[in-house]
Amino acid sequence: MRGHALLIGLRIPGGSPVHRAPLWLKYLVLIACGAALVLWRTPITAAVLLAMGVVLYAAAGRRVLAAWAAPLRFLWWVLALLGIYQWWMNGPWAAFTIVGGMVAALQLARLLLLTTEQSVIVEGLSWACSPLRGLGVNPDVVALAVGLMLRSIPAMLGCIADVADAARARGLQRNPVALAGPVVVSAVAFAHQTGDALAARGILDHGDGLESGTADGETA
Amino acid sequence: MISFHAAGVSVPDPGGDGPDSVLLEPTTVDLAGHRIAVIGANGSGKSTFLRLVNGLARPTTGRVTVDGKDTVRDVSAVRRRVGFLFSDPLSQLVMPLVREDVELSLKATVKNRARRREAALLHLEAMGLSHLAERSVHELSGGERQLVALTSVLATGQGIVVADEPTTLLDLRNNILLQDTLFGLDQQVVYATHDLDFAARADRVLVIDAGRIVHDGDPRQAVDRYRRLALDPGRGRR
Repeated sequence: MRGHALLIGLRIPGGSPVHRAPLWLKYLVLIACGAALVLWRTPITAAVLLAMGVVLYAAAGRRVLAAWAAPLRFLWWVLALLGIYQWWMNGPWAAFTIVGGMVAALQLARLLLLTTEQSVIVEGLSWACSPLRGLGVNPDVVALAVGLMLRSIPAMLGCIADVADAARARGLQRNPVALAGPVVVSAVAFAHQTGDALAARGILDHGDGLESGTADGETA
Repeated sequence: MISFHAAGVSVPDPGGDGPDSVLLEPTTVDLAGHRIAVIGANGSGKSTFLRLVNGLARPTTGRVTVDGKDTVRDVSAVRRRVGFLFSDPLSQLVMPLVREDVELSLKATVKNRARRREAALLHLEAMGLSHLAERSVHELSGGERQLVALTSVLATGQGIVVADEPTTLLDLRNNILLQDTLFGLDQQVVYATHDLDFAARADRVLVIDAGRIVHDGDPRQAVDRYRRLALDPGRGRR
């Protein structure tokens, strides 16, 4: 598994007011902004929240501000397609409202991930889920699942990069269908390893072994 | 004390109608001793043997106990006694920051967040890793990662550490550093390895071949036995 692909979406440490703000406040702002974008679908809302996002990124420090444009490098074509379609159907202002609003919401959500330790997020989620305990939900499991999901996204990107490299090294085309098989296999292997590691560390303490009799782990 | 009571593992033939393939023949052995090494060829059953100790694998016949606790019926009690270190530390580091990962191990025992943070830092300090506390687990070198993984395992406070080829991915310097760290522990350590010098440092070495313990005892003799087995031209590899 490769290191560099794992760096996407990682927290940028810092001591700015944005970093130090309590988690509930960050979520409150995020939810309020999301609601505003849905309730008032005007170009002004989108513009204000986009600007607010940039101001908050700047307040979080130079390195966070520098990371602002990172996702647009992957997403520009989706946004461009959407923008062109909306422009053509509903005119330029509608296009700006929708695309700008999406980018504003994405950036504010990213800011929370960029400036908060994952253990704080996980603990917050566990707290937020605790009223569901009565319904048979274990809040720690929910929180850990979200933590694992956050960790798995970059790990899967690393997997895809590895498989694509292996295919290219053998002179094969980068056919997405041909890549899917090995990627799914390594995703399952990754899930097994993670599950074994969690079980071995007694985290959650389910009191349940995962499976019986796996062969020596040198198959991958 | 780890005890195997005629414990064996077999899985149904993948083809369907062939005989079950045996990963570990029924084995009876007591693992007493401070440092125990397990050596054997790929696919010989080393990993299965180790995974039985903390219930990651279940015996299909017989049973395995740790301090009298059954690894199937009492698996949580067993895992409170046995920590497990994998060859690839990245698969066992769950949280993004080194300190957070150690904190995760402490979650069950230390409820207060500030106190947990303090305890995690103490564990890192004890391993000489204080400088890594706020680093991302992804930017560490392989050796540092394995030491952090070991710290996270030890933080849960088990008296026994089982390590499955812990030095495989490490360079020579980190390999020796990890060996010395493992040998400096108070905990009992049971480890599998392909590094015969590492194996020879143990008090007791088990040689596993085709799912069977074929030697149990003196490290030098065990390594010789394994060399003869591995280099015997008459034997086909599984």
